Amino acid sequence: MSLLFYISSVVAIVATLLVITCHRPIHALLYLVVSFLAVSMIFLSLGAPFVAVLEVILYAGAIIVLLIFVVMMLNLGQEAALQEKQWLQPKVWVGPSILVAVLLLEMSILLLRGESAAIQPAVDMKRISLVLFKEYVIAVELVGFLLMAGIVGAAHIGKHKKKHPHRFLQNGKENGHADNNENNKEVKPGELLKEEMIHN
Amino acid sequence: MDSLQLQALLPFIVLASASVVIILLIAARQSHTVIQITGFLMMCLVVLAMWYVRDVLPRAIMPLLVVDGMAAVFTGLIVFCVLIIGLFSFIYFEEREENPKEYYILIFLGTLGAAVLTISRHFISVFIGLELLSISLYALIAYLRNRNNAVEAGMKYLVLAAMSSAFLLFGMALIYMDTGSMDFDGIAKQLQTQGHSPALFVTGIGLMMVAVCFKLALVPFHLWAADVYQGAPVPVTNFIATVSKIGVFAVLVRFAQAVQLQSYHFAVIIISFVAIVSMVGGNLLAIKQQNIKRLLAYSSIAHLGYLLVAFLPGNAAGIEAGMFYLFAYSITLLAAFGIVTMLSGRQADADQLEAYRGLYWRNPLMGAILTVALLSLAGIPLTAGFIGKFAVLNAGVQQQLWLPVIVLVITSVIGLYYYLRIISTLFAETQVIFPKEKSLHPLFVAGTYGALLVLLILLLGAGIFPSAVIDGIKNFLCQGFRIINF
Repeated sequence: MSLLFYISSVVAIVATLLVITCHRPIHALLYLVVSFLAVSMIFLSLGAPFVAVLEVILYAGAIIVLLIFVVMMLNLGQEAALQEKQWLQPKVWVGPSILVAVLLLEMSILLLRGESAAIQPAVDMKRISLVLFKEYVIAVELVGFLLMAGIVGAAHIGKHKKKHPHRFLQNGKENGHADNNENNKEVKPGELLKEEMIHN
Repeated sequence: MDSLQLQALLPFIVLASASVVIILLIAARQSHTVIQITGFLMMCLVVLAMWYVRDVLPRAIMPLLVVDGMAAVFTGLIVFCVLIIGLFSFIYFEEREENPKEYYILIFLGTLGAAVLTISRHFISVFIGLELLSISLYALIAYLRNRNNAVEAGMKYLVLAAMSSAFLLFGMALIYMDTGSMDFDGIAKQLQTQGHSPALFVTGIGLMMVAVCFKLALVPFHLWAADVYQGAPVPVTNFIATVSKIGVFAVLVRFAQAVQLQSYHFAVIIISFVAIVSMVGGNLLAIKQQNIKRLLAYSSIAHLGYLLVAFLPGNAAGIEAGMFYLFAYSITLLAAFGIVTMLSGRQADADQLEAYRGLYWRNPLMGAILTVALLSLAGIPLTAGFIGKFAVLNAGVQQQLWLPVIVLVITSVIGLYYYLRIISTLFAETQVIFPKEKSLHPLFVAGTYGALLVLLILLLGAGIFPSAVIDGIKNFLCQGFRIINF
């Protein structure tokens, strides 16, 4: 089964590279889903079906749906319909589909051959919960603080409203609107998308 | 978990609740002053809690944590550093454009991460502690998010720290694969029964050393240090230079103690190599620096190299020397960065050496404190830095580690050159008149001066009467060793 492991690893790496090189956030997200699915496939091929399912439900399911919602909601307006049409052109979804097809093929091979590690009895839910909330309860609580650090940090750095503009911006306002485009670095992501679309 | 274990964890619970309290205060729209004072009181409460629980101390909370004397010393040092950094933060962030309130949440979470590192006895808690520390640091470094330097520094730290976390995880996975255990004692037991050092274990240790060297900014992995130190707000730079290094060093010491790392030949070679190149590299890179934050960054690389010399022997004397060295190094850097904080203006940090020309004539107290701090960094007698270096040398000579010891002595002389260069700038004549633009609450200015004076007294006190500090550390360590003798 190590061949399956290597194939899904390659898929994961390719998909992740595409995530960070894609220009549009929504396309990057599509590849991110593929990347999560590939990681889940790695777990499955190693004989850890429980973690594989969790990966699909939590990452590919919940988190990605949330992300897509947020990205979609960032720019509401007249141009939104046009933009969505652009996003759904065939060349956009062909790439992810091929990668996912590879993963699907792998999974069917794994399941049809039957004798592999993937068919081991799944780990009991109850045992996992007991370990998490009895032995390692401090770790779970600390992870809670870890998430808090991430959220507070992201909330601070991503905040839009600005009380004191940077001195470059102040100069830009004083000089009038002529060089506004060059100097106005602080634009909302939604506006950025709109601008981009107008250029297209 | 029984009540005694909970009691042993009390300081850490108080520390964790500090960040929650700050969030609640922000939700209740309290002012910066209220948050600052509450944060200060919470840190005092942590210290009180540690004093209160000292009798139950050597106590393991299976399977993740152990609270013993060593953890108490390191955590005490961390909390002390955060107390002082918190005081300096007020005057710094009060005159910055950003809303300073979230800063306190992040800094307390980072402190919690470092404190968890000091009590870890299991890979899981090590990793969570380290991530808690570095995720808080990503946001803290880029806190002034409209300044290009800060964002660049935050980005650099984010990418490199994520990379080093990957190395750490891979190393842990290899060791787990080899020994089938993730807690330090279990690994040690398994290694004893195996008898020899297998390839997987060696590779795992190597990969973990990459991550540790990155966090400690030791030489092959030091490239981020100068840029991050320069770009981050001064109190955050101070935090990176002291708290995060204490935490990582604590976990390194505990792991090495458990698996007898220094009894492996390859480990000693790696650590000696890293120590030697750090001492040489850090000092040479600092020589031409005109930016005081970058200079202190390179000097801290060199100092962590000295610290590794104390780590090399792996006996009780070495650990004591390392602890004393960390203590001296932390209070010295706190004082030095404290002065940088005080001098920083509204627009930019006071990081150019020119800003310090004639400081002594403008403000004798600040000039004197910075002078003593720099002398301590250089290791001149009557300061804490000298005793620290002496203890390190002593530990190294006892084990006949001649090469690292000789390099330490030679590079200290190189270091003296650039520290004295700054000191001569402090006393130089100046014609420039610097405008005063302080309109801060006099209570906090007084508090900051008070903190600087306390640091000055500690620096000189530990330099003139080091026995008090060394005995204190020894007492705590004896408590710590009791659990190993069982």
